[in-house]
Amino acid sequence: MAWLNRLTAEVFSNEPFSASRNFLVSAIFWLVIGVTLGTLAGALMVWPDLITGIGNLSFGRLRPAHVNMVTLGWLSMGYVGCYFYILPVLVRRKGIWNERFANITMVAWNLVVGIGIFCITNGFTEAREYAELGWCFDILVLAALLALGVNGYMTVLTGEEKKWYVSIWYILGSLFWFPLVYVIGNRVFVSFEGLNDSIANWFYGHNILGMWFTVGGVGILYYLLPRFTGAPLYSHTLSMIGFWTIGMFYAPTGTHHILQSPVPEWLKAIAVISSVFLLVPVLTVLTNFFMTMRHKWYLAADHIPLRFVISAGIAYLLTCIQGPFQATRSINWYLHFSNWVVGHAHLALLATFSFIVFAATYYIIPKVTGKKIYSKKLAVLHFWLTLIGWMLMLISLTIAGLIQAAGWHFSIAMDQWAFEQEPYMLVRFLSGVMITLGQVFFLFNIYKTVFSKDAEPAPHSPTGIDFV
Amino acid sequence: MRPNINYLIAAGFVALIFLTIIYVTAILPASTFQPEATRAANVYVEGSPQFKGREIYRREGCFYCHTQFSRYQDREMGELVKAGDYVNETPHVLGTERTGPDLSNIGGKYPDAFHWTHHMNPRVVKPGSIMPAFSYLNDQEMSYLVAYLQEVGKRRKPPAWVAAPQEYRDRYHLVAESVDVNSSAAANAGRGIYMQNCAQCHGIQGRGNGPVSISMQKKPANFTRPFYRSYDDATWFWRVAEGVPGTRMPRWYKTLGDESMAYVAAYLKTLPQDAETPVANMDDIDRADKMDMNYWQIEAAKNSLGQNDPFQAYAPTTFKAAVGGAH
Ligand code: HEC
Ligand code: HEC
Repeated sequence: MAWLNRLTAEVFSNEPFSASRNFLVSAIFWLVIGVTLGTLAGALMVWPDLITGIGNLSFGRLRPAHVNMVTLGWLSMGYVGCYFYILPVLVRRKGIWNERFANITMVAWNLVVGIGIFCITNGFTEAREYAELGWCFDILVLAALLALGVNGYMTVLTGEEKKWYVSIWYILGSLFWFPLVYVIGNRVFVSFEGLNDSIANWFYGHNILGMWFTVGGVGILYYLLPRFTGAPLYSHTLSMIGFWTIGMFYAPTGTHHILQSPVPEWLKAIAVISSVFLLVPVLTVLTNFFMTMRHKWYLAADHIPLRFVISAGIAYLLTCIQGPFQATRSINWYLHFSNWVVGHAHLALLATFSFIVFAATYYIIPKVTGKKIYSKKLAVLHFWLTLIGWMLMLISLTIAGLIQAAGWHFSIAMDQWAFEQEPYMLVRFLSGVMITLGQVFFLFNIYKTVFSKDAEPAPHSPTGIDFV
Repeated sequence: MRPNINYLIAAGFVALIFLTIIYVTAILPASTFQPEATRAANVYVEGSPQFKGREIYRREGCFYCHTQFSRYQDREMGELVKAGDYVNETPHVLGTERTGPDLSNIGGKYPDAFHWTHHMNPRVVKPGSIMPAFSYLNDQEMSYLVAYLQEVGKRRKPPAWVAAPQEYRDRYHLVAESVDVNSSAAANAGRGIYMQNCAQCHGIQGRGNGPVSISMQKKPANFTRPFYRSYDDATWFWRVAEGVPGTRMPRWYKTLGDESMAYVAAYLKTLPQDAETPVANMDDIDRADKMDMNYWQIEAAKNSLGQNDPFQAYAPTTFKAAVGGAH
């Protein structure tokens, strides 16, 4: 039972930065499962009879399992893992306010993700997109979010540094907004009738992206950029403008997901206008990104984590060109309901925010474990497989989406265009395989680093260039 | 640290604006947006098969591939939905993606047996479909699901399948003052215009098989289908004027005047609308609209199977009995 004792000691440890490590390690585990489920669902779009007779693996259940696994299991836990390293470092504190408390939250969160998503595949689902977890899990998630919030806020308030770098704003903002959005979006807490339910659903569906993934991701990006490049952030003023405008303009955009349904027109108008106004925070982030990177692009040749950050920045540019323009009525009229939007979702959550967390993981794991990343080759492979993977996925889904949109829009009988999509769906599946493979390498690489006893110690490297 | 009071006021102000925005766009609609129930609203009595079927629909994630709201531009998906149709739809199943067709008007579109067969294995009735096979549902669940599908939109039966927009109705009534569309003179004039402009595609007899049609992906309309009985004069006028986007059917208002189009409409409605071409060879199948099991497809299936109900032939014996019982 020695190993069990060791495991409990590690999991419920009160060591500084142990929560950050534990969150990241579990996040990567869910990531691999999540992308595997996604790839399987993608395969069903090409060979619908691949799996028959097993309800748990039918498309309608795999898809929510995939989405919840990668949003709550991977990305959310990954974010928290990054927060719990970045916050104490930025406020000059040794570890967060209460590591053990955070570790208990970590265990609870893992249980919610594991059991909750197992329940989804068994048909215990609330069946509202992005908010599928059953009511009991919703309560646990909320409790965990509040616990994380308390920990995050206390860390900052008890820190030595009283001048807050922008990342702190972003991170604390996301920890404040997410529980709020979660309460409004889940029927256990707030339940409306009929179409009002769809309004609340999409308030949640969009703001888990806007108020949580975007705010948190940008916060982490603003921490990593100056670290990796050794150059100060281009403009703090811009980043603060970005912070407040994200808060203002993201909140009402949810209705653009149901822009053509019979919900009130004024609500749609607000949604469209604020979606276009999102260009304001987006441009602040992008200006900061490109201006900070100025004269530093060459670093990407050797700096693996920086490569992830750069591709994330460029993917963010693409996503945010797509987003506001898709939300306008005339474009939405044509593109909505199609695979184009699925491509957009992967561009945001995979190519942008996951890449930010990849970069952060390669930097933070050596910092918190004191070990150098096990293999540079695997990290490079991870980068290329995932990068080419998402590009193929974006291209194939976009083309498939255009075919689909033309079909629906011009009321052409489905038989006449359904087959045309098949090659693109095949490419999408293959891109899924590439991405999954990349994440397996990632998992192996990080686990080798964290769990092996004789790993190389992390060298002194302020920009993190020698960690990988 | 002594917090700067000005800063706190500013932060409080911003937080207030933020909470107001959230309140207005997520919570407020629930009290101000209370549409009245329409005649078309689906009804689910708690515990009824429809009610249970809806739960299965949600559980199986049908709404990830199927939407339940038809839009202005969806011409072949039945009547447009209204806000009041959704009063009983809690939690909502609007859906955001159309991997498969919209289902807001599915009720009554097919016989129950079609749905049973289609759910057991969609490829049996729709080759090339990527809908999952729901063969793992038991007979009980399947009958609930079908009961639900037959409920959805069944009260939304439109008087005509397609209706001309008001703009065109008005325009048509203006022309109708000078053209008597019910006279044979008008029909004759229309016939001339038709032969010159339309017959190369739509065929001399209006069967959609003119010589040019051979090279087309999307075949010209066959005006002798019984479907066209539901067109009124203004609808003919509108359909000719606006053409069919995505096909080679032009927008004739760019070429013909309103009066000529009224003549054409007068002619088109005189065509016999009862002669579905029987399927004699593969070319005919190519021309047909395979999405709906329409009259001739059912007839053809009947003939080839020598049975009355072609779906029963596909249905495995396990639920044949259940279908029989459900009728
Ligand atoms: C993977 C996506 C997918 C899922 C999940 C799915 N469908 Fe479908 N569905 C399709 C596609 C594609 C078609 C069009 C081809 C066909 O008719 O099979 C379709 C067609 C249909 C049709 C015929 C519509 C028409 O007007 O011809 C019905 C009814 C239907 N589905 C019901 C369901 C039900 C009920 C469920 C859940 C138990 C479901 N579908 C789940 C993709 C899906
Ligand atoms: C270049 C070939 C072509 C010509 C010329 C043409 N059509 Fe068409 N027409 C089509 C096609 C293709 C469709 C689309 C059928 C569909 O949507 O399934 C169509 C559809 C229609 C429809 C719509 C039927 C419906 O389902 O509502 C009408 C009405 C019609 N044509 C009338 C005419 C008239 C009148 C003329 C001559 C003034 C004409 N067409 C000339 C190819 C043609």
